[in-house]
Formats: sequence, C-alpha cells, structure tokens
Amino acid sequence: MFSDLLFRMRALFRRGSAEAELGEELRAHLERQTEKYIQAGLPQYEAARRARIDLGGVEQVKEECRDARGVRFIETLVQDVRYGLRQLRRNRGFTAVAIITLAFGIGANTAIFSIVDSAFLRPLSFPHADRICVVDRIDNPIGGHSISMPIYLAWQKQREIFDHLALVGGSGTSFLSADAGPEAVLTAGATPGLFSVLGVHPALGRGFLPEESKPGSENAAILSDSLWRSRFGAKRNILGTVITLDERPYTVVGVLPRGFQLPIPYMRNAGIWLPIHVPLTSNNPSNGDLLCLGLLKRNVTPAEAAAALTPALAALRTRFPKMFGPNEKAHLDPLHSFLADWAGPAPLLLFGAVGLVLLLAAVNVANLALARAATRRREIAIRTAIGARRRRIVRQLLTESVLLALIGGTLGVFLCYAGFDSIVALVPANLPHVGAYQIDGTVLAFALALSFATGIVFGLAPSLASTRVDLSHSLKEADSLASATGRATLQSVLAAGELAISLVVLIGAALALESFAGLMRVRPGFDASHLLTFGVSLPQNKYADAAQRRAFFDRALERLQAMPGVKNAALANILPLEGGGDILFSIAGGAATRAPGRVGDADYRVVTPGFFDTMRIPLMRGRAFSDSDNGGSELVVIVSEAMAKMYWPDQDPIGRRIWVGKPMGPAFTEARPREIVGVVGSVRESSLASAPDPAMYIPFSQAPSWDPTPRNGSFVVRTRGTPLALIPEVRAAFRALDTQLPLTDVQTMKEVVSSSLGSWRFRAILLTSFAGLALLIAAIGTYGVMSYAVSRKTHEIGIRMALGAQKTDVLRLVVRQGMIPALIGVSVGLGAALALTRLLASMLYGVKPTDPLTFIAVSLILLGVAVLACYIPARRATRIDPMVALRYE
Amino acid sequence: MERMDLPQGTLDLLILKVVALEPQHGWAISERIQQISSSVLCVKQGSLYPALHRLERRGWIKAKWGASENNRHAKYYELTKSGRKQLEADESAWRKLSAAVGQVLEIT
Repeated sequence: MFSDLLFRMRALFRRGSAEAELGEELRAHLERQTEKYIQAGLPQYEAARRARIDLGGVEQVKEECRDARGVRFIETLVQDVRYGLRQLRRNRGFTAVAIITLAFGIGANTAIFSIVDSAFLRPLSFPHADRICVVDRIDNPIGGHSISMPIYLAWQKQREIFDHLALVGGSGTSFLSADAGPEAVLTAGATPGLFSVLGVHPALGRGFLPEESKPGSENAAILSDSLWRSRFGAKRNILGTVITLDERPYTVVGVLPRGFQLPIPYMRNAGIWLPIHVPLTSNNPSNGDLLCLGLLKRNVTPAEAAAALTPALAALRTRFPKMFGPNEKAHLDPLHSFLADWAGPAPLLLFGAVGLVLLLAAVNVANLALARAATRRREIAIRTAIGARRRRIVRQLLTESVLLALIGGTLGVFLCYAGFDSIVALVPANLPHVGAYQIDGTVLAFALALSFATGIVFGLAPSLASTRVDLSHSLKEADSLASATGRATLQSVLAAGELAISLVVLIGAALALESFAGLMRVRPGFDASHLLTFGVSLPQNKYADAAQRRAFFDRALERLQAMPGVKNAALANILPLEGGGDILFSIAGGAATRAPGRVGDADYRVVTPGFFDTMRIPLMRGRAFSDSDNGGSELVVIVSEAMAKMYWPDQDPIGRRIWVGKPMGPAFTEARPREIVGVVGSVRESSLASAPDPAMYIPFSQAPSWDPTPRNGSFVVRTRGTPLALIPEVRAAFRALDTQLPLTDVQTMKEVVSSSLGSWRFRAILLTSFAGLALLIAAIGTYGVMSYAVSRKTHEIGIRMALGAQKTDVLRLVVRQGMIPALIGVSVGLGAALALTRLLASMLYGVKPTDPLTFIAVSLILLGVAVLACYIPARRATRIDPMVALRYE
Repeated sequence: MERMDLPQGTLDLLILKVVALEPQHGWAISERIQQISSSVLCVKQGSLYPALHRLERRGWIKAKWGASENNRHAKYYELTKSGRKQLEADESAWRKLSAAVGQVLEIT
C-alpha cells in the first residue's frame, strides 16, 4: 500500500517525464510491430497502418495507462482548477459579482455560526452532557429556581437517580484584597458535587470536600484558570495560599482547568468558586438563585427522575407548609434544552435568516452562471464531440463553481474578521455562552464546509443544464430556440424564487424594526434623562453594623446633594430595569378589607425619601416618604399603581395594611403590619417589553430587621448638565468618605434603559442588515435575468419597431413580461412569510406576526425595486436600432 | 488454430509469468505470450500497456530503461520480490480452479 502511494506521488511530481516515457514506450512498440509486418511482406504504409490498428487509438491507450497509474484524479483536478481560474479571469464581471455576493452570504453565516457555536455547541462540550439536567420545582408558590438546602439534601439521598447532584449559585461581586487596592471579582458558590456533575477535574489541587460546606468551617476557595493566570501569575505553588476576599481569609485548594466556564450567564466569568455555606435547615427562598444540576444515571430518563423526586417535596411540605404547594412536582430539564430556552429562539432564527440570505446568494450566482452558459455552449459541444463524457464536463464545471465559492468564502471570512468586533458588541450580554466569541478552528471549518456545499449546490443546476447538449444545434452558430427558452424559463423561476426569499427576510426585518422602535417609545415610568447611576457594595468587616451602613449612606447622600451639578440624589436597593428582588406579602385583616389574609407577590424596593423626586416617578395618591418616617415611627409602605390595581381593584389602598414577608416564614415576619401611605406611578422594573409588575417601596430608615440597611445599594443622581461630566467629582466625593471603596456599574440611566433593550436591538440591526443584503441580491438577480431576456429578444424587438411599435410600447412589453416572475415571486413569498413569521411571535413587541400593513408595505417596496430592475434593461431595449436588430441573430 | 480471447483477469498472471523468466519490454511480452501459447492466446495490445502500468503501480514489476537487442532504447519490466510471491499465489489459485472445474466437467 505504501509503495502504491509512493508510486502515485512520484508519478504526480514527475508527470512531465512520465508522459515522455509513455509516449516513447508506445512509439517503440509501434516501431517493432511495423517491422514485424514489413518482414511478413507488407509495404511500409500498410504495415504501419496495421500496427496502429492493432494497438488501437494511441491517445486512448495513453489515457488508460494514465488511468492505471492512478493519479488521474489529482491530475485532472489540477487541470480543472487551472482551467477554471482562467475562465474566471476572462469573465471578470461575472466573477466579481459572484464572489462579492457569495462573500457576503458566507461571511454573514460564519459570523452567526460563531455565536451559535459559543451559545449552543461549546457549552455542551462537557462529558456526558446529554445526561446533565437542571432540576427544578414546578407549581410552587414562590416561582423561579428556588431550590433550597432541605430540598437538595432530600434529593441527594436518592442515589438511584443521580450519579452526582450539585447546587450552584450565590454569585456576586466580592473584593479581593491587593496592594493596589481592592479588586472586584465575580464569585460563585457550589456544592462539592458540581465538578463531578460536569465531569471536570481541577487542573491543580482538588474540588471541595463535604466538610467545607458546613457553615463555620474553614473557608476554601477554588480559582478559575484565567484569574490564576492574570492575578496570581500562574504560580505553581498557589495551593495553600491564603487570599483575602471581602476582608475574610480563604485558602486556595484548587485551580480549574483552562477554558472551563459554566454556561449560565451570570456565573460564566466566575473567578473564584466558594463552597455554598447555607445552614442545612434554612429554607430561605431568598437564596433564590441556587440552581440544581444533576448527572442522571445512565438508564434513567428525565421523566422517570422527576416522578421519583416529587415525593420528597410532599414530605417537606409537612415541615414548611407555606413554602410548598399542594401539587408541587419536580421537573428535570436537560441542559441543552435549558440553555436553548434561556437563549430563546433568537440565535437559531437569526441563523435561519442568514441561511436564507446565503441561499439567495447561491441562487443568484446560479442564475448568473446559467446566463453565462449560453456563451459556453460551443465549447461544451466541441468537448462532447471529441469524446468527453458528460460526467467529466460536469465535474469540470462543478470545479469552477466550487472554486468560485471557495474564493468567495475566503473573502467572506475576511469580511467576518473585519466586522467581527462590531457584531459581537451588539450581542446581548445575557445570551448564555461559553468562551469568548471568536473565529476559531471550528468556525473556520464551518466556513470551509459551507463554501464547498454552496459551490456544489449552485453549480449543479447550471452544469447539468448546460451539458444537456444537442450537438448538431450547438455546433452551429445559432442558439437553439428550445434550449434557450428552457434556460430562460429556469432563470425566471430562479429570479422569482429570489424575490420570494428576499420578501420573507424583508418582512422579518420590518417586524423586528417595528418592535424595537415601539419599545424605544415605551415610557418606563420615570424620567431617564440626566440621571447618573452607580452601585456601592459595603464590605462586611468595616460596615458590619446596620447603623454604620446607614451612617455611610446618609453622609454620601449629603455630599451628593451638596454638589452644585446635582439637583437630587437618592438611594435604592435595586434599580428599575434591573429586575428581580420580589417578596411575598399578605393583606392584613381589618375593617372593610376585601380578602384579608390574601397572599400576594410584589417587587421589593428599599428607597430613600428623595427617590421618587429624583426619578420623577409621579405620586398618584397619598404622600411620599419623609424624614419623619424613621425607625421609631409607624411602619409605612408605598405601593405602585399596578399593585394597587391588582390587589385593591375598586378600593383605595391608602390606610390599608399589609404584612410584608409574613408568608415566607417567621424569619421574615415583622413585628407589625405596614400601613400604605401612598400610591406612585408604575415603573417597568424588569423589562420595557412587559407590563409593569406590582412593586412596593419601603423607606431606608425602616428597612426590616432581616435586611436592615442592605449592604449593596444603587445611587441615582439627577444632574443639571450631562451626567457623565459629574463622574470624576462623584468618585472624589466617595474616595473622601472611604478610600477603599470602588464604585461599580457607573452609567447613565439612559444607558441602562438602552442595554435592557440589547437583544431587541441586536435582532433588529442584524435582520435589517440581512434584509438589505437580500434586497440587493434579489435586485441584481432580477436585473440580470431581464438583461438576458432583452438581449434574446433583440431580434423580436427590432421587428416590432420596424413594424411601427413606439418606444413606450416596447418599454411596456418588456417590463410587463419581466414583472410576471416578479409577481409570482412576491405572491409565493407572501405565502411563505405568512407561514414563517409565526416563529417570530415571541420576539415581537406591539406588532402581530401577520401585520397586514407591514406585509403590504414591504411587498410594494419589493415590487418597486423589481420594476426598477426591469426598467433599466427595458430602456436599453428601446434604444435598439431596428436595422441593427433585424440583422442580429 | 483459432485465436481465443483472454479470459478476464488472467492477463496479469501471464505477464507476471513471462517476466519471471527474464526481463522483457512490452512488445516482447506480447509476442512471447502469443508464441508460447501457439498463437491461441491473443493479447489485445491496447490492454497490454495499461495492465503493465497497473502491475507496476502495485509494485509487482519494476521498470527500467535499457538498450534492446538492436541497441534501441526500450523500457524493460522485471519481476520484484513481492511480484514473485504474487505470481506463486496466482499460479496455485489458477491450478486449483482449473482442477476443480475439470473435475466437474469429468462427471458424465
């Protein structure tokens, strides 16, 4: 086998001399055979002729010898490639258009693929990824991923279901002490089983031990690879080092392998992993972001596991009756479907859209190739006449298409590199993904495969069409009517198809644009202009006491108010559009109260008195907080209009009382119910796209005992001038208060609003770009087809004009004929769009997927473009001199 | 004697055998086969050379340019070691086959 390969390689490289040898060998053979016949008595000429007949066609024997030498394939490939390149160079116009069209198509697909790769393919590169599930509860009164310790411990006992079970969560920003000042680091918590579930082994050291999860035990920490490299210089003796996190000591016990990332967005970049320290008996649901991950045993399905885990929930209900619903069930979601749900349909739909654009590009090039085939029919006819088999010619034509596609693909990858940063900047940050978005080996391999596939797909139809040759017709000058008509019909069909596809993409883009524009107009419930926001996190040891924290915040607000550029300043625990942080409450009994004891759910906001003024949230009824609402006075609360409407639909909530936190257990119950003293306008707390959730506001000075003066707060400052101009002054003020305290997330409220629309903007911009591309390509396609049709009809037009047709008649004739495929294409496109836009339904705001106005407007635009594309060649047609046309065949 | 066409696949065997006796060039191989078989076997000359090149690729024969009888330049083929092994294998296979066929034809 090896000698065979050597032989082939040698033969390939010494083709020239091998050819000479072959020729020499056969010539020598003929000489001898001729001699033999001469000796038998034949004359020279006859002998030579007989010898040649005996051998058969010399060229054919040579071909068969070459075949036998086994390098045919590569040789012919090289031959085809060279010939193809020559052809492409000769038809610069066609080549340029085709390459650019393909470059955009393949480039766009490559870019989207890299996003899909990061979001879907890489996160599932864990071993046994198909058995990893997210374990959750459904039909429970709290909602969300609220797995608490008792539940986890109960499930962990069921060893027949899981190989490994783990909790992960409790992530947040902590401060790592360093000489240069504290450095903010993202930390995440995990139970010891996490790395076993994911099949990941620490590169250095070990994972957590069960003892380390007990509260009060010595603190262990595991570093991520990137933090180990960036912050600790990748030193090998890192194990056992003590680091200071939030002014508490932790011992480093392990380092994770390179490239490990949890696909969950808010824990993806965790630099330090800590054991989850939760008291084992605490059923505190405010550990709300604990996610339960399990590695199922090999022969257990998610449904079976869910059924087996549900009884544990019922058992826990006896211990915590208010925390577990009567019909609660366990629910298992395989990791890939969990991530897909989180990502939403957007990435795959964008992939579909960009795939359509590529299809469009390919069809366009096929159309152009068909037009060009007309000029090559003689060449193909001659080849066929000499003896080339159809397969051979098709292979040569396909080589040309694949070459075109590869060149276009290479250019596309370059375009992708060039625009990549801008595309990545658009991707919404909350899209779950692993690793950086980058053009790596996988993506390049995809681009290569796509180029090949595209080349073969768009090359096949024209190649097969142009090799179906009627020799006698093609060898003559005239283009046979039948074949030309067939070609023209195919071209029209392709052009109609292009218009249909671009209509679908255009409608999708229009709907996405309308959604985004609609969202931009939504009023968030507050005035977002001239508002600066930033966060502060008070470290545990310096501000252990609630009074210390309150003092700090008071002093900070004083300083801010004193600044000349500041109109108003306030503090809140969570800002609008940040989302999260909801709490249960129950309506207190009392005179004339509807539904006493009713339990409700509302967003929980702790704010300073100046909050509503600063945010310009209107006060609808009652009063706002004042300095007289403090720890000593009556407990008060202000509710939003949405909350008032939901729980007191035709009553005035002012004066009513609610027990904040009571349904969540005795740990959350306050001494007395709170009195509602005011109703403010609703604010969109989670997203502009959804209706405002009910929200309640509690004054900072009256924060409940279980959350007295929160450690983390967000400041809002209404400035007189540009908010950003005030940043240095604000930083200086805070540095004066505490040199070690950094400010986090410093941005204007407008930026917060804008980034909350991140995914909408992403979709709108991308789809519009694709639509623009599609429109361009479809227009080129229609123009090309019309040009060709006109050139074919030159003869006919000449006759008509000679017989008296006016320019306008000719114009009308040509345009009308050109619009037929356009109208068919648009109709088919409308049908396809009606069926397909349904898939977009969840990504639209304020507009239906079958919005008639959008459909009609876009169709008219496309038809207008088609008319224009027909008009230009039609005008050329009118300039035909009848005398010239009549002579032209 | 009438000429018979070579059964498929046996051309390789014959070439190897002829070359095993002594290195030969293409034309001579064709002549030899005809001679030895008393002109019964007629080798289609057009299939001879592709077969030679194929055997060369398989590594069973080796080509060398040399001077022929009348000092003319010719491409000589000679048997290689693996070619000799292949020849033995093919020969014994052929004998077994013809014996078996003969036995079947013997039954009356």
